[in-house]
Amino acid sequence: MGWADRLIPRRKAAAPRQEEALFDEAFLERLELLQVIARRLFRGRQRSERKTRKVGSGLEFADHREYSPGDDIRYLDWTVWIRLHQALIRLFEEDEDLPIRIVIDVSDSMGTSDGAKLRYAMQVGAALAYVGLANLDRVGITCASGKHHTTLPAVRGKGRIFRVFEFLRTAERGGPTDIRAMCSRVAAESRKPGLTVVLSDFYDLEGAFEGLNMLRVRKHEPVAVQIIDPAEADPTHSGLRGDVQLVDVEGGVHRDVTLSARSLTAYAEAHRRFCEQLEASCRSRGIFATQASLDVPFDDMVLRLFRQGGILR
Amino acid sequence: MSFAGWTLLQMWPLFAIGAAAITGLYLLRMRRRQIVVPFAALWERVTRDSESRKLWRKLRRLLSWLLQLVVLALVCLALGDPRPDVWLRDPVSLAIVIDTSASMAGPAPDEPDTTRLDLARRRAEQEILNLGPADRAVVIGASEEVAVAAPLSSDPAVLIPGLQRLQPRYGESDLDRALALASHVVSERAGPRILVLTDGALDPAAIEALEACAAGPVACEVARVGGPSDNVAITAFAARRYPYARDKIEVLTEVHNLGDTPTKVVLEVEADDAPVGRTTLRLEPGERKREVLSGLDAARSRFVARLSQEQGDQAPFGLPHDDEAYAVVPPLTPLDVVLVTDGTNLFLEAALLVLDDHVRLTGMSPQEAREGRRPEFAEADVVFFDVADEGLPETLPATHVVMFDPWRAETSPSPIEKKADVVRPFLTEQDRGHPVLDHVVIKDVNLARGTTLATIPGDQVLFRSLGEPMAVLREAQHTTVAFGFDPRQSDLPMRSAFPMMVDNLIRYFEQREAGFVASVPIGTHRELTLADLGLAPEGVSRVEVRGPEGAVMVLPVERGRFRLRALVPGFYAIEALDGPLAGSSVELAVNAANLHASNLHDALTAQSLPEASQAPAAAPDSPLPQGPLWTLVMLVVAVLLAAEWASYHRRVTV
Repeated sequence: MGWADRLIPRRKAAAPRQEEALFDEAFLERLELLQVIARRLFRGRQRSERKTRKVGSGLEFADHREYSPGDDIRYLDWTVWIRLHQALIRLFEEDEDLPIRIVIDVSDSMGTSDGAKLRYAMQVGAALAYVGLANLDRVGITCASGKHHTTLPAVRGKGRIFRVFEFLRTAERGGPTDIRAMCSRVAAESRKPGLTVVLSDFYDLEGAFEGLNMLRVRKHEPVAVQIIDPAEADPTHSGLRGDVQLVDVEGGVHRDVTLSARSLTAYAEAHRRFCEQLEASCRSRGIFATQASLDVPFDDMVLRLFRQGGILR
Repeated sequence: MSFAGWTLLQMWPLFAIGAAAITGLYLLRMRRRQIVVPFAALWERVTRDSESRKLWRKLRRLLSWLLQLVVLALVCLALGDPRPDVWLRDPVSLAIVIDTSASMAGPAPDEPDTTRLDLARRRAEQEILNLGPADRAVVIGASEEVAVAAPLSSDPAVLIPGLQRLQPRYGESDLDRALALASHVVSERAGPRILVLTDGALDPAAIEALEACAAGPVACEVARVGGPSDNVAITAFAARRYPYARDKIEVLTEVHNLGDTPTKVVLEVEADDAPVGRTTLRLEPGERKREVLSGLDAARSRFVARLSQEQGDQAPFGLPHDDEAYAVVPPLTPLDVVLVTDGTNLFLEAALLVLDDHVRLTGMSPQEAREGRRPEFAEADVVFFDVADEGLPETLPATHVVMFDPWRAETSPSPIEKKADVVRPFLTEQDRGHPVLDHVVIKDVNLARGTTLATIPGDQVLFRSLGEPMAVLREAQHTTVAFGFDPRQSDLPMRSAFPMMVDNLIRYFEQREAGFVASVPIGTHRELTLADLGLAPEGVSRVEVRGPEGAVMVLPVERGRFRLRALVPGFYAIEALDGPLAGSSVELAVNAANLHASNLHDALTAQSLPEASQAPAAAPDSPLPQGPLWTLVMLVVAVLLAAEWASYHRRVTV
């Protein structure tokens, strides 16, 4: 680079559209590998082995309840009737496949750092969807923010993965982060509650945990994956100093501050506490929450979710 | 301080407007850089107690504002082109003439290890540092040689190194030429001024030159740098051979107390690094004593006289270089004597052989001499012909010749003509005062036969027989001595007079050989003869002279003579560069012995130089540098802006 180039930085050459590069051949190859590894992990488990709490027409005995008129007398427990003269209906755990809902936060805060967080979230989401589809699960995708909400209805079969890709490529982006509204709408539009993986930075001080908890209340099994850009989380090495005006990428807030090494360290500490607090809150409600740093490859992240996250049980 | 550019009235409005603009800009809200963050809510929580509300932030803004005002003030000052008053006077063309004579190596008052020349240099440096931008100065060193030490310039970086290169020399200063040169350099320029820096220990010619300069059209000032005037010097040092004992040397040393107090000195004389004499002298102020060392062996050639303190102290007396003197005595070379004889006169051969310290004797037959086969015949210093019945050669060699009975044959090459043959002559008269006959008595010498000789005016008759010359000495380019008898036909060889006469003849010819130069003084052009230095002049057209400091010069030789101006005392090596003896060298001693050069008294105190010629004390160093001051101001501005820029980019002041 010559001195002129140093003084006058040239405009970068037009890069290929990021959406097109999002799921390229290399990505697909890594998905295949991921699927093979996932199959080994889940060996012996068949489709629909996930039990719901719904009591229905399954094979495994669950409980008794008193007979009420209209019940199918085929489920009357005659043994109890003979011994105790109580009409009890045998209840069975209903075997049904749990739908997997993948919710991706597409707000503006996910678009900083040149959209690295959003790309990472989409790659993780696509990988989860691929593994789910390959296991013949029903997988639905939602891309949502405080402004947009787009949903791909649940699909099944490995061949639908390209539909998932297309959906992710074309999903509308932008808008403020509103985890609570996003989760509320996901819960509302899900006919069957299921495993709901929320991929977001959760930069929503008030609504992040509430949204996840709402999913739990609505019988979903939420899994929170917090996408973290290390440069954003710890800006002490960013070189930012002096009097600046901080502008929220999602609009609205302008704040004049004087950045110093001390204030940057304080921000990093506050960010760390925020993430820990979110994780602790989730854990207290039985919600699995984990952090996904951009410097961890997405496939490693997905495997970690499989191993630790209880996505399959 | 004055302003050569904008006036204060012009500068103030500019400063006021600029200051108002800067203040206005500072009062306006500073536009901050915008940083887009994804989580502003967290940033807000963190930066709720931002430093921007602290006093330091506000103070830093105030300091930045003040810095900008300072920069503006300096720019306005630069526009004014400030100049110290010393720069605004009329330009001066200053010629600094520094006396670099021997006395300037003398000690300075109250400052050990400092010479008078150091004081002069210090004073000259002050003058140079006080020069304004339009002033010019030239530095001229005045010793026996006059040289421009630093050319006309106003730049101290040019002038001061030239000044530092000046060194005290060994002779008197040629102020006449130095002042003429100085006047020539500055007289046509603006504000001409000549400043002479000297200790006043000058010879009459230099004082006259100063008086003439003071009365001249160019302002001529003298600044004196004095010091203690005590000095003891060797003012003369000479060596010679005794006229009648050339193997012995006599050395004379003259020691002069030029100071104002009695002193004791130890005089030591060394010959070829071996001490040959040591004496302690007590000298009253102004007293001069001569010491003679007699009967020294002529085998020694280098003589050094040295003064030292009685107590062994190494400190010199006043000037160090006049405490030593040098002399060279060329080694004694024996005469090349050829004896042409038939071998029957052993008395003559024996008389020559006993003079082996003085004579290198070669025997030769008359036939060899006639045929001229042997080169010694032509190269001899003296040829004795004692050939009896044998004939003489047709021509005599071009050298000193002694002939016995040259007219035995009818023809003879002798330049002294025959007058008549005589039988049984009596030597009746002799020239008793002639050196050849010193201590020789020829009374009653019997001769069987002889020849009387014809003389011409100028001939010296040694013996007469009844008034007729029988032994004649003729001085010409070469000396010819003719004895009109054959020693074999007399009883003279059996007398003591014969070997004494032969010895006298040899001494006579020795004294006709070239003398020598024991030493020459420095500073003057001196014509020297190669023969006097002991170097054969034949065929020599150039000589190389190597001084004691290693300086080499090649000088032309004309007819065996060359001119030398030695400026450093010591031993000089003189080498013939061509001729048959090319490469052979001799030594020459050069002495500083100069009464005026060694006299450290200020001779100017008694003179009546005009009051205006007394240079005032130099002004103290100007605190300001040379060159336009506005450039320095702008340099300060640039430094301030650079500091501000660096602090801005280091996020210190933003």
